[in-house]
Amino acid sequence: MKTFTYTIQDEIGIHARPAGLLVKAAKGYESEITLTCKGKKASAAKLMAVMGMGVKCGDEVTVTVEGADETAAAKGMEEFFNSNL
Amino acid sequence: MKDKIFGILQRVGRSFMLPIALLPVAGLLLGIGSSFTNPTTIETYRLGSIIKEGGVLYTVLDIMSKTGSVVFDNLALLFAMGVAIGMAKKEKEVAALSGAIGYLIMNTAISALITAKGGVEAMAANSTTSVLGITTLQMGVFGGIIVGLGVAALHNRFYKTELPQVLSFFGGTRFVPIVTSIVYLIVGIVMFYLWPVVQSGIAHLGQLVLDSGYAGTWIYGIIERALIPFGLHHVFYMPFWQTELGGSMLIDGTVVQGAQNIFFAELASKSTDVFSVSATRFMTGKFPFMMFGLPAAAFAMYKAARPEKKKVVGGLLLSAALTSFLTGITEPLEFTFLFVAPLMYGVHCVLAGLSYMLMHIFGVGVGMTFSGGFIDFTLFGVLQGNAKTHWIWIVIVGIVYAIVYYFVFYTMITKLKLRTPGREPDHIEPKLYRRSDVNEAKASKAAGGTSGDVISAMILTGLGGKENLSDLDCCATRLRVTVKDASKVSDDLLKSSGASGVIHKGDGVQVIYGPQVSVVKSNLEDFLDTPESDHAEVLLGDQDVTETFAEERSANVDKNQHNSAGSHNKNADTAGADSPVSQTAADSGTQITLYAHMNGTAVKLEDVEDEVFSQKILGQGAAVEPSEGKLYAPCDGTVDTVFDTKHAVNLISGDGVEILLHIGIDTVKLNGQYYESHVSDGQSVKKGDLLITFDLENIKKAGYQLTTPMIICNSDDYNEVVQTAEGSINAGDTLIEIK
Repeated sequence: MKTFTYTIQDEIGIHARPAGLLVKAAKGYESEITLTCKGKKASAAKLMAVMGMGVKCGDEVTVTVEGADETAAAKGMEEFFNSNL
Repeated sequence: MKDKIFGILQRVGRSFMLPIALLPVAGLLLGIGSSFTNPTTIETYRLGSIIKEGGVLYTVLDIMSKTGSVVFDNLALLFAMGVAIGMAKKEKEVAALSGAIGYLIMNTAISALITAKGGVEAMAANSTTSVLGITTLQMGVFGGIIVGLGVAALHNRFYKTELPQVLSFFGGTRFVPIVTSIVYLIVGIVMFYLWPVVQSGIAHLGQLVLDSGYAGTWIYGIIERALIPFGLHHVFYMPFWQTELGGSMLIDGTVVQGAQNIFFAELASKSTDVFSVSATRFMTGKFPFMMFGLPAAAFAMYKAARPEKKKVVGGLLLSAALTSFLTGITEPLEFTFLFVAPLMYGVHCVLAGLSYMLMHIFGVGVGMTFSGGFIDFTLFGVLQGNAKTHWIWIVIVGIVYAIVYYFVFYTMITKLKLRTPGREPDHIEPKLYRRSDVNEAKASKAAGGTSGDVISAMILTGLGGKENLSDLDCCATRLRVTVKDASKVSDDLLKSSGASGVIHKGDGVQVIYGPQVSVVKSNLEDFLDTPESDHAEVLLGDQDVTETFAEERSANVDKNQHNSAGSHNKNADTAGADSPVSQTAADSGTQITLYAHMNGTAVKLEDVEDEVFSQKILGQGAAVEPSEGKLYAPCDGTVDTVFDTKHAVNLISGDGVEILLHIGIDTVKLNGQYYESHVSDGQSVKKGDLLITFDLENIKKAGYQLTTPMIICNSDDYNEVVQTAEGSINAGDTLIEIK
């Protein structure tokens, strides 16, 4: 299991567009990817759940990756957060 | 080819009905008004003391005459609009506007060319006229019909056209008047050069008629009648009535040209002993068949109708016969048999021609203001005295005509089994219903389909399915359909849907339902907009439809009125209010329907100008370009999240479909400004509930697009997400089908 945290820089947070991109990125890996923020938990493969978290600028998101390709997945997700959020 | 022509003629014919329905009224106004304001009439009957110019009665009559006249003067415009309405497949109001525009533009283009070529004086005599104040070529009703037909073709081709984003305001239905104006500018130019050739052709035909005596009169009569279906008869006979084609005569020292002008000049002249038959031969022939022949034909059709239909058919035929008899307006009657029995119309033409010839031979000289009804017959025949007009022959020939028409029509109808009104075949015997039939019918209703839906499904299946339809419309009693493959049409299934008969003419199919047909049609149209209609036969299932729906049918007949009032809304309501969407889906297994979330224009997700949506990164779905700032629930379900910025909502439907409704593109940046939410997280909603209102104008002013996608976030859980509607849409209309 790999975990990292990321503080959202994007001023409008994880709204529909980044959520969609995030889910797309997350679906590229076999591993189970979970987001946790402000006490809410959501699977990164579930678009509606991700959007439903209502993640804002400045919120800290914990990303948990578990599965066969977890190393690559964690790295990929971290890159995604850095470049998009 | 022949069948295709029938299909087109069928639509053209019914598209004429709208303007034609106005004619009897206009005819009466004109006939009565103009007869009694005619100075000759006033003088002849010494009415001068009662009807004085400037007096109340005279003014009233004058108003009648002029208001009636304005309809006939602008018949071409009415046809341009009416035909466009009739032939347009959807968004008919736009077609009507375009028809008017096309007509104005075409005539104005012609007018400009006439001026450029030296004005009216440079044109052939009598070839020009004034239309709505525009000096143009004398094209008569034909001018209106070519506009109407052309505009309808343009309309059907372009009303959904999408233009590039910058020009999108001008797209869709707005594009139709635009393209119409350009096309008819060109048509006007073409007509300026082409129409004089047609005019000279008609003139030559006229000359031929003039040169051939009695036979010529006969041919004139046949042609005049044969042109009625095309609305071209005015183009044909007016030159005879109004120009030297109909003869010239020296009356009281003045040269008078044209048959009608000659008659009225003779009427005015004190020196007339006998009216000139050489002029009236182009008019008098109308009296015998209009006053006697056609009403007798109507009686024959009534007699030939099946007993149970006589009451309904009788009313229709009586009013049409009376109109023909009194005013000489024959279209209402002629159109009742023209399309179902063209052969009979052919016989009618020959007999009508013969009537003109007989009047010529017997030297009957009765003129008319505009047609050969009882009013004109009395004024210009009987009251002038038999010595001057020999009107008695009209009655003699008329009585013979009544007998001939009655027997010829009755024989033809019965021997050739023609489907004139009230003779539509009806093979279905009323049956007794088993308990199980009733239960089955009830079950099918409870499953979500209204009875209208099930019947629509049967009709659609009977017509060979949705793909087999190419055009759908109705007239007073029948559904008029053009199909792609006539062999797929099942008469029995159609009849079990409540039709009393089915008529085939190649690709044209007429399904007779009686006066409630308009309800049947609107139900069918609503049903066609639902995804179920793609496989209507599934809805029917394995039931023995013929049995089950005979019951439905009788029930429908009983509460016809009730149904017709409620059915339109019923479809929409049932799906939303009383039954969750899942029930609709349950019918055919896994199908789920989502309804439009806004009023506006449905567009494809691919066309949304944001790649997150257009590339379906968020999932599949459809979008609506809203016309008002309101977002409605597309189905029953639960609000999962209302975004803090209120520009988007997540909903989970009762069936577990995860739906994102996202108002506008990039509107997250507005940070909630201009948006107001009416629901909160976790709240249950019903289809059609108002979710969010937003300030459409100000958001647009702020520079954002308002295209609103409805995304199925969990598209991967389903086999297929299909957008079923495009173009103009109302909230609650079916938009997406999920399997």
